[in-house]
Amino acid sequence: MSRQHSVKIRKEPGLSQSSLVFGWSDDVGDLGRRTTDYLNRKLEGREFAEIEPDYYFQLGGVTVKGDLAQFPESKFYVCPEQELVIFRSDPPGAEWYGFLNSILDVAERHCHVKELYVIGAMVSLDAHTTPRQLLAVVNSAELKDILSQYDVMGEMDYQTPSGERPTLNSLLLWLAKNRNIPGVGLWVPIPFYLTAVEDAEAQKRVLSFLNQKLNLKIDFADLDEEIQEQNRKLAQARSQFPEIDGYIGKLESNLMLSEEENGELMRRIEDSLRERS
Amino acid sequence: MAIKLYQEPQLKNPILVAGWPGIGNIGLIAVDTLRAALEAEEFAQIEPWHFFYPRRVEIRKGVLEYLEFPSSKFYFKTIEGKDFIFFVGEEQPTEGGKVYAQGKKAYQMANLVVDMADRFKCRRIYTSGAAVALTHHTLKPRVWAVPNNERLIQEIRGYENTVLMSDIEGRGGQGTITGLNGLLLGMAKKRGFEAMCLMGEMPVYLQGLPLAYPKASRSVLEVLSHTVGIEVNLDKLDQLDEKVERGIEEFYQQIPAEMRGQLDRLAHVTYAKPSEPGPITEEEEKKIMEDVEKFFKKRGGAG
Repeated sequence: MSRQHSVKIRKEPGLSQSSLVFGWSDDVGDLGRRTTDYLNRKLEGREFAEIEPDYYFQLGGVTVKGDLAQFPESKFYVCPEQELVIFRSDPPGAEWYGFLNSILDVAERHCHVKELYVIGAMVSLDAHTTPRQLLAVVNSAELKDILSQYDVMGEMDYQTPSGERPTLNSLLLWLAKNRNIPGVGLWVPIPFYLTAVEDAEAQKRVLSFLNQKLNLKIDFADLDEEIQEQNRKLAQARSQFPEIDGYIGKLESNLMLSEEENGELMRRIEDSLRERS
Repeated sequence: MAIKLYQEPQLKNPILVAGWPGIGNIGLIAVDTLRAALEAEEFAQIEPWHFFYPRRVEIRKGVLEYLEFPSSKFYFKTIEGKDFIFFVGEEQPTEGGKVYAQGKKAYQMANLVVDMADRFKCRRIYTSGAAVALTHHTLKPRVWAVPNNERLIQEIRGYENTVLMSDIEGRGGQGTITGLNGLLLGMAKKRGFEAMCLMGEMPVYLQGLPLAYPKASRSVLEVLSHTVGIEVNLDKLDQLDEKVERGIEEFYQQIPAEMRGQLDRLAHVTYAKPSEPGPITEEEEKKIMEDVEKFFKKRGGAG
């Protein structure tokens, strides 16, 4: 199957000047999946296209996650009223260049996308009581001026460390730049002990920005409740387990935990949040 | 997926010499040393996007400035009336998490290199890599040569310090050349080009280490430069070799004494005559291989 044939358009989305929000299903703290799910739910996103998996994923069976068999999905959703396209996908196992170009082909030809936002999460050593930051990487200097009106940190300096590779988000921004599509990489640092569960605060941080920037008019009352619940559970775990409180206290004082303490904190928090959810 | 040509050099039946990273980077170092010593000029490259994942991103003050892909470049040089094309790849295209080239991308890349040989009517293609062997790091590495054409066998028999697969103890003329070296040899054969792969020997106990093995690159270069009739200054390669040798010796001393005793015996293997059995029996050979494997497993894998 070729690149063109791997894209299935079910219905033309009927957009004239849209924005694309892009999230990975398999992300730190599940941020990409949860954020795109939230947008789809609130804005009643309608699936209109997908990329067939056989060309880009190694299909030797299925993986099981949360007791459920998983199969790679790469789907486009449209929210016509907001001129918004949402794309959510598992990260491809091969042919990254072709895969990302397929997305941009749909974005350009079928959605007339004028800008794109790709969501990413990174692991942070801060405590959950530290306000979440939103870092932005842009693919053109002009975008930086526009973003300066919003509450984002846009002065990041970064070079791929030796032995590592750039992220797919960077490759996407670079490919978008080659097509003159302005693109923003949004990065939220998530406390390491929340990465295996979820972080509603991080989700809200990205969503608030998108809400403001794209004028989506979303009411976050439900997400605020979720944040309150998350904080209540974390506070309960702290009061119930003095070690947890001690570890988080250390992080709040900018002290480092040992590797063993890190692992212990992650395990205890995961158990506490899962038990009570 | 294309070759980008910056200029069209006027070359007459050049020799194409190709090198990629691999075990000990033996082939890559050999080819790149030759390219640099001859001051060959870059004239083309294979566009990388289809083949490789980027290797480095640079973000300055929040702006994505630069994304670097592994390069696959062609160079040319005319020396003493002979024309050369060098192909130097920074990575082998891989699929499915494999270390060395495999699958359709590797096939496509090999095809593109042969396209270049076709365009310039190359008379021969050389590739180069590593031959993992039961040898010792204090010995001069031999060069294993595999041609893709029967006519070349007699010629190879005349090379110094070089063996054919049938000359190698216990191989009976059989073997496998993995990655792009093998693919290019096969692709050249398919498209009617004379080609051979020159592989420098690397001791089996060093293959799992993330180090270059310039001593073997030197052996390859000696054969290659003699074959194509040019002289090359190898001083820089010798300097690199001295440095690496010190590291290897340090590593060697960390190997448990009993196993080192076995490996020391490899230092006394002589190859006076092809196919002559060395002082290591088949059983001992098996034991050495098992010990090496165990040792690396204990150290936590390669390097």
